Amino acid sequence: MAEDDCEWVVESIVGYLGSPEWIIPVTDFMENKCTVFDDEDENKLSYTEIHHQYKKLVEKLLENYMQEVGINDQQFLDACTSPFAKSRTLQSVFQPVLATDDFQLFRSLMVQKNIELQLQALRVIKERNGELPECLTDGVDVMTELEQQELKILQEVLKKSKEEYDEQMSRRLLLEEELGSTSSCCPDKPMAEGIESTNAICASSQQSNTAKAKAEESGENSSISNGHHTPLLNGNTATEYNLVNVNPVRKEERKTAVPAGGQENGAAKSQAASKFNPDFGSSSVESRVLPAVRAPVKCGETSVSASLHTKEHGSSSQTAVESWLEEAHREAGFSKPFTELTASQQEQLQQRAVYLRQQRDKLHALKKEQQKTKQTASSDEAPSSPTPAPATTPEAVGQSQRNGTCPPPHPLPPAQNSTNPSKQKEISAEERKKLQKRKHLADKLKEEVIKK
Amino acid sequence: MGEAQKGLLSVVEKLKGTTEREVRIVLLGLDNAGKTTLLKSLASEDVNTITPTQGFNIKSVASHGMKLNVWDIGGQRKIRPFWKKYLENTDLLIYVIDSADKKRFEETGLELSELTDEENLKGVPVLVFANKQDLATASPASEIAEGLNLHTYRDREWQIQACSAVSGEGVQDGMNWICNNIVNKKK
Repeated sequence: MAEDDCEWVVESIVGYLGSPEWIIPVTDFMENKCTVFDDEDENKLSYTEIHHQYKKLVEKLLENYMQEVGINDQQFLDACTSPFAKSRTLQSVFQPVLATDDFQLFRSLMVQKNIELQLQALRVIKERNGELPECLTDGVDVMTELEQQELKILQEVLKKSKEEYDEQMSRRLLLEEELGSTSSCCPDKPMAEGIESTNAICASSQQSNTAKAKAEESGENSSISNGHHTPLLNGNTATEYNLVNVNPVRKEERKTAVPAGGQENGAAKSQAASKFNPDFGSSSVESRVLPAVRAPVKCGETSVSASLHTKEHGSSSQTAVESWLEEAHREAGFSKPFTELTASQQEQLQQRAVYLRQQRDKLHALKKEQQKTKQTASSDEAPSSPTPAPATTPEAVGQSQRNGTCPPPHPLPPAQNSTNPSKQKEISAEERKKLQKRKHLADKLKEEVIKK
Repeated sequence: MGEAQKGLLSVVEKLKGTTEREVRIVLLGLDNAGKTTLLKSLASEDVNTITPTQGFNIKSVASHGMKLNVWDIGGQRKIRPFWKKYLENTDLLIYVIDSADKKRFEETGLELSELTDEENLKGVPVLVFANKQDLATASPASEIAEGLNLHTYRDREWQIQACSAVSGEGVQDGMNWICNNIVNKKK
């Protein structure tokens, strides 16, 4: 075969390999199939199948071309083996063809294509959003670093809240001693409940607020009363802390599903239990039971005293209480029709609780900054709340006794329904407002953080 | 068109422009036989971080003026059906056996006999590595050869080589056999 004949064939082939007829199908194929190709050392079995398909495609394309141009196999062969075809520049043009026979070459082409596409995608994202989302900017290392940071913050937060709880505990014990005589007997429990339910039933515009507030309070009660004990009793690892705290809340809610009518006896008993526990509280079981029992009881006094603590602590331990506030609020919102809680709903509730716990932890880390400022604000509150609180107690109890009449399905332990129709002390109303404000703030924050 | 395709492939092969002769070697055997370890030891790579192979590995080793492209395909039962797809154009089969895994000698023998029945491996030389000789419980190569009935092979070259892929002992001897055998066969 003549030399120039060869050259003509080679040029024609090279031209074909640069034409859309060749490039489009081959590029299409690569772009469609390259996603599974990563740069791991080990090859996936699927690569082989894709390589096989690629071979078929290229062979078909080349055959069609040769038929079209009128080159026979021999010419093609000669052309391709000619020195001209082996020049450096042409080698790269022939690469996609070579890849049919060389799996490693094929693989590297596919991996390259995959990376190119990824970079393109990143560029597009960047153009659209102005900048890359954090999760896309750096590699795995940074992710783990972030996680570690998060963990550190979390641990710090937990430590802090534990300290706060310890503090609360000691305070509570003190208060318990003071209130001991009043809270040991409580015939007015159902009464308090009655008030609650009246509130719940009547449909004033304030209603929803009140209900929410109640939910909050209940959450507070349970969480705080837990908080008192757990630090003492347990080693206080983070998990323990969470477990113990969350369970009671759930229990509480479940219990409230039980009609309150026949509960008086049980209530009294549990009352006693709740009375003893703080004093003897040395077993973790007791401490866990305590809040659950107390909640359904709806004893005006206990809850009031609890709420007293709450207030006190609420101001001193913003961090812990706030998170629980949110949680309780959420849970309460979720389980409004308490009386008709089914098993599946309860399950949902549990899942929700777990989810909330996670969210809370995240929130903690993120809110750290804001909380600092808040805490300074709360320190102003702190002195005012404890003082008026004791004064409120008898009042509230008396109130509930007078008003409470209807037997109520409403679950949440009442304590200070300050804003509700029964005229409670102004101070508690103020506190309530503050509480709501705080809660509102937290809710907003949460929304911003979680739902983007 | 079949002929044309063959022509194309041979063209493509020539296009590579390498003067080095390439040899395609397939490395098979049951899971945990030590195929990947052997492969890495052939390529002088670290053998301490090897995990069970889910797909396949390829290494190119230059030896005796040849380029050995060694394909190591996972040996787990669920992957074995894929072995067939890698046998085309194979110049040599390396079969690896865990010499200390006596309980599976029968299984590994069955797999090997199935392989030697494959059309694509007709007449292809077989090198059996009796691996893990560093273990005290390892059976000697001669015993394994007998169990595999290697001496009944009439249609192909075969060799059994005791080795330890971890220590590298015996591996080079096997490679020498490969190179000598292939040189003899191809030239």
